[in-house]
Amino acid sequence: MHISRLQLVNYRNFERANVVFNKGVNTIIGENGSGKTNLFRALRLLLDDTLLRSAYRLDENDFHRGLGDWRGHWMIISLEFDEVSQDEAIQSLFLHGTGNIADGVISKATYNLIFRPKAAIRQSLADLTAGDTAGLIKARSKITIADYETIFTGKSPADFLDPATYKQLVGDFDAVEFPKELTNPAIGGIIPGMLSISREVCFTFVQALRDVVADFQNNRTNPLLTLLKSRSGEIDPQSFEPIGKLVKDLNDAIVDLPDVGTIRADIRETITDAAGGTYSPRSLSIRSGLPDEPDRLFQSLKLFVGESEEQHEGGIHELSLGGANLIYLTLKLLEFKYQKEKESFANFLVIEEPEAHIHTHIQKTLFDRLNFDATQIIYSTHSTHISEVSNVENINILGRHGGRCEVFQPSAGLDTGQIGNIQRYLDAVRSNLLFAKSVVLVEGDAEEILIPILVKKVFGLSLDELGISLINIRSTGFENVAVLFHDNRIRKRCAIITDLDRAFIDTTVDTLDDEEEAAAKKKALGSQVAGLRREAALKLLCDGNPWLTAHFADHTFEVDFVSAGNVDTIVSVLGDVYKDASTIAASKAELESSDIACFGTRVLTMARYAGKGWFAIILGRMITPETVIPDYILDAIFKVHVPVSVQTWASVLDYRLSLLANSQLHPDGDIAAMRVQIGRYRRGEIDFGGVRAEMLKAFPADGINTILASF
Amino acid sequence: MFVWNEKDLNDAQVAAIEQPGSVFLVACPGSGKTRTLTYKIARLLSELKSDKKRIVAITYTHRAADEIHERIEQLGVDTSQLWIGTIHSFCLEWILKPYGIYHPALKHGFRVINAHDTECMHEELCGAVQGTMLTSFDCAYYFKPTGVVLTCNRTEKHEAIKGVLRSYWKTLREERQVDFELILFYAYQLIEKNPSISVLLGSIFECVLVDEFQDTREIQYAILASILKASKGAASAFVVGDPNQAIYGSLGGYAITAHDFGTRCGIAFKEMDLSDNYRSSSRIVSYFGNYNVLPAKIEAVGTNRNYPSVVSFDQDTHRDALDVELVKLIKYNVETLGIAPHEVCIVAPWWVHLASMTRRLVAALPAYSFDGPGMVPFARDVDNFWYKLARIVLTEASPQLYVRRMRWAGEVIAGLGDAGIDIPELDRKTLLRACNAITIAETDGLVFLRAFFDELCVALGIDRHACVSLQEHHDAFFGSSQKRIDRLVNEGSAAIAELAMFKKVFAGRTGITVSTIHGVKGAEYDAVIAYGLLEGMVPHFSDSDQVDAAKKLIYVVSSRARKNLHLISERGRSRGWSGDYQPTEVLAGCAFQYDQLST
Repeated sequence: MHISRLQLVNYRNFERANVVFNKGVNTIIGENGSGKTNLFRALRLLLDDTLLRSAYRLDENDFHRGLGDWRGHWMIISLEFDEVSQDEAIQSLFLHGTGNIADGVISKATYNLIFRPKAAIRQSLADLTAGDTAGLIKARSKITIADYETIFTGKSPADFLDPATYKQLVGDFDAVEFPKELTNPAIGGIIPGMLSISREVCFTFVQALRDVVADFQNNRTNPLLTLLKSRSGEIDPQSFEPIGKLVKDLNDAIVDLPDVGTIRADIRETITDAAGGTYSPRSLSIRSGLPDEPDRLFQSLKLFVGESEEQHEGGIHELSLGGANLIYLTLKLLEFKYQKEKESFANFLVIEEPEAHIHTHIQKTLFDRLNFDATQIIYSTHSTHISEVSNVENINILGRHGGRCEVFQPSAGLDTGQIGNIQRYLDAVRSNLLFAKSVVLVEGDAEEILIPILVKKVFGLSLDELGISLINIRSTGFENVAVLFHDNRIRKRCAIITDLDRAFIDTTVDTLDDEEEAAAKKKALGSQVAGLRREAALKLLCDGNPWLTAHFADHTFEVDFVSAGNVDTIVSVLGDVYKDASTIAASKAELESSDIACFGTRVLTMARYAGKGWFAIILGRMITPETVIPDYILDAIFKVHVPVSVQTWASVLDYRLSLLANSQLHPDGDIAAMRVQIGRYRRGEIDFGGVRAEMLKAFPADGINTILASF
Repeated sequence: MFVWNEKDLNDAQVAAIEQPGSVFLVACPGSGKTRTLTYKIARLLSELKSDKKRIVAITYTHRAADEIHERIEQLGVDTSQLWIGTIHSFCLEWILKPYGIYHPALKHGFRVINAHDTECMHEELCGAVQGTMLTSFDCAYYFKPTGVVLTCNRTEKHEAIKGVLRSYWKTLREERQVDFELILFYAYQLIEKNPSISVLLGSIFECVLVDEFQDTREIQYAILASILKASKGAASAFVVGDPNQAIYGSLGGYAITAHDFGTRCGIAFKEMDLSDNYRSSSRIVSYFGNYNVLPAKIEAVGTNRNYPSVVSFDQDTHRDALDVELVKLIKYNVETLGIAPHEVCIVAPWWVHLASMTRRLVAALPAYSFDGPGMVPFARDVDNFWYKLARIVLTEASPQLYVRRMRWAGEVIAGLGDAGIDIPELDRKTLLRACNAITIAETDGLVFLRAFFDELCVALGIDRHACVSLQEHHDAFFGSSQKRIDRLVNEGSAAIAELAMFKKVFAGRTGITVSTIHGVKGAEYDAVIAYGLLEGMVPHFSDSDQVDAAKKLIYVVSSRARKNLHLISERGRSRGWSGDYQPTEVLAGCAFQYDQLST
């Protein structure tokens, strides 16, 4: 049995969220504040015994803020379990409360927490006539959190995320239509509090940043004690007998030491001297307290671990934090194994950010190898290193849109071939795209190196600040990764930047062409055809997908970079590429020729000669705020970074203004006047068009005006 | 494992308890059936290896369930994995509540109504029937798996009764209510339609124990058999009872055979019996042996076995002199023989004869007190929330009652939960403390209870008006109690409305018991005085097999007695146009050397 689904309705920062889980190890990834902790809390409200009381103490702060007025609304946390079986006696009590009977068998179970207004309030809403908005406002104004109740239900077939279901169960607040039926079987059968489902399964929550050493020292939380306890009850009295005898002998032997006897006599004497015979205790002895019963003796056992190469084994408190955590997790896993032997049919280990506990490499191994039957592990992370190892099918991504958190399943609806491709592509670096707010995919090193520099130099902002992750696919196999961005999967924006490879030389076949020319023409034509095919395929992929766009360089990145107006930049690096003066002079002439067949061939020759990556690095040094970013790249950036906020534009303008100020070419008064305009724009006193006009008027020569003009 | 003292049980009892697998135990009167059941349950509980398993025991009454539960707790055995209760509670807790969403009549929630509600509804419907004289009594019914069975033997009324019942069921369905018969019927339907329920329950239950199987109905057997069969042998059964004491035939109860039940459950029962009677004298045992329907060899082995019993049969006393005769017999047993008053029981077949007689006896014997259903001022509806609470309110905090009151408190809190009221900080101790802290200066019982309940609700922050089911229970409790008191006062028990009478209900037996024959089931007394043993009453005119029914009733009455037994078939009770009632034939026909009482 395993958890297959968690649905959250109106709980904390989730308006409606569907989290999908599989057997084995599951990963939840998301940026800080994306709701990972709240998601775990929801899970714990249902399954963690220690939080059972909290489930009965939900309040208005637990309602999703986006609801505005929570009064009258319901909060629902619903768990679905898959692979249950009515034929396994061990599950019967669990299924008695939760098992969905469908077509004569039970193959799924559901367990829900519902926080809703009590019957009297629901009745008062049901009594309203449809459309009676004023009546609804009045009725809602009387509702307090004391009018709410927590119920646990099982066997529910409802899809609580379906807005139609919600209207049916809770009501339609806009139309003022509330169900007359107060007991809808769709919520399932109510499970009485005494039949605690959390007692039927084994659930362990490992919190981030917890004090593992303290856990080991506390008798209640020490995992070693739990293990020992589970064994001590089963000790064969006969085999323990000689040990018990040894302990007894040992205790006697210690007490019989002459020194102990002396101390005892001295204490006795001193007491009698001090308090007098009447008030002194009647007897007093010193005994060794080593217990001789199996239970208590077991509890006195402690774990010693040798961490490094040395022969020394130390106590837990001597271990490194990572080492102690590793031991802790290991013991927890063993606990599950033991419990399984004693009758637990489902174990859930929920770990918050294991990277906070253990080195990523150890984690990788741990989760890779971990394969206990009937144990499901769910952990949250923001480490790309762990997500690399996890199967993309077992990943849920949390994303935040304003105050609302969304959950995506990156592989939903994909076939195994597609999933396999994604899996192969997602190494540690590319796993970044799972965490990003938005993504730009590029095909090679040149784009990967130069685009961040261009954006930084021209706008004064890094891609990180824009919330963009640039991922180098190192080929044109974009589809493999781009399928992730879809309404059903990751609902984040993704732009693909690629080359169309249109030929820029005359490819007309001429009988006079020598062998080399003919080959070049043939190759250029071949690339052109391939480029067109790629364009068609990508356009098809993006068609109707609001999350995905494709942006094409007409020819090749380097060629389009030059034609965008950056001849001088290339010319400035000629000395870094070539040593021979005549080659440099010839190249300069070609580059400045304005004939694409000439400068195009040259810049590609340069890039090939230096190596594309190295050429990009050399070029990167020469990028200035006045370098022109090719349009297709700008398009891509602003397609994924939407909406561009006032603050972003204002920072860009501030940056450009500070460059202008540093240039010492402009009167201080002009700079100050423009700064005032930017301030007004920031405060909303003038709009974007206004500030754009001011910029153009004040500094017509600045490169940013061209970019601003297209918005 | 749970072990007992050697003297606690005899060999036959031990054999039944230690017998592995399923047992079908026929236990004669006074054979320590309850004790055997109690120890068997304790033993099963102590042998449980999994905390996911439950032991389920079905008793005939709530009182028996409470008694066994308490005894097991006193044996020091953990009862957290024991479920014990009546078949109705069983169906409610294990089938209707958890699986109600799968039944069209239950899926929108339901409330259980009590016998009083049913009676009122029937009366109203009967009043509207044209052409046929119907009373609520005619409308009694029960379900078989195949459908409804009317208990009224006047077949010419059946069409009219069915009409009444159809409107009754329609109303229940609309109001989302179920009565006791529907609890069983719906449970049966759920289990038939959803085999998964039996599969789950069959693997949750380690053992199902059934007490008093001889009074179990077809539909109840069907429900239990379905669960046991689905367990495929994983759950065992322990079935106890006495076919000779089957007195609920008119309500469909019958004693199944071990073979039949075993076949239906897929279980091979080991048939065993308990034939040592620890209760009665040899003379009593030999007397009720005359009324065996099924052969039973019973031997008196208890401390009373050599008691010189007085067994008398009186066909001469006229009904007008009956009270004088009863007074004489009571005085003889108590004052001459020194039997304690609470060890004397007066039984008659019908409630109507008892009420007026009790009144006359109270007047004639002012020094004696009388207990009995006729002396209970409120309806004993164990499913009623306010009745549950009344048990705590009407008893004093004392060490003897501590365990019991704690359990009652638990039931009250569970009842609040069922009503949708959750008070997080309320536990059993705080509830008892809150109850103990309230004092109401009031001598009228109902006024007292009303005020007490209100004050407690305020103390706990409960608004009962806001909760439909609590309000409904409140109305039912006070409505039926008031009606009952009015009737009893009418019949002459003026003191019945007083708080002291209310409190006496839970104070345990102190006076002479007055009961119907069906009401003394399972009980025992030193002296039993029975009257109204008249053909048409014993057996009831509607019983199908008149001879057997009469034998079983007299068997039950006679076997209640430890020492003395006085049977009276009084003269002069008019049976309308057919003259007077005549003595029960099987009784009159029994050849026995009766004792003559010296007068």
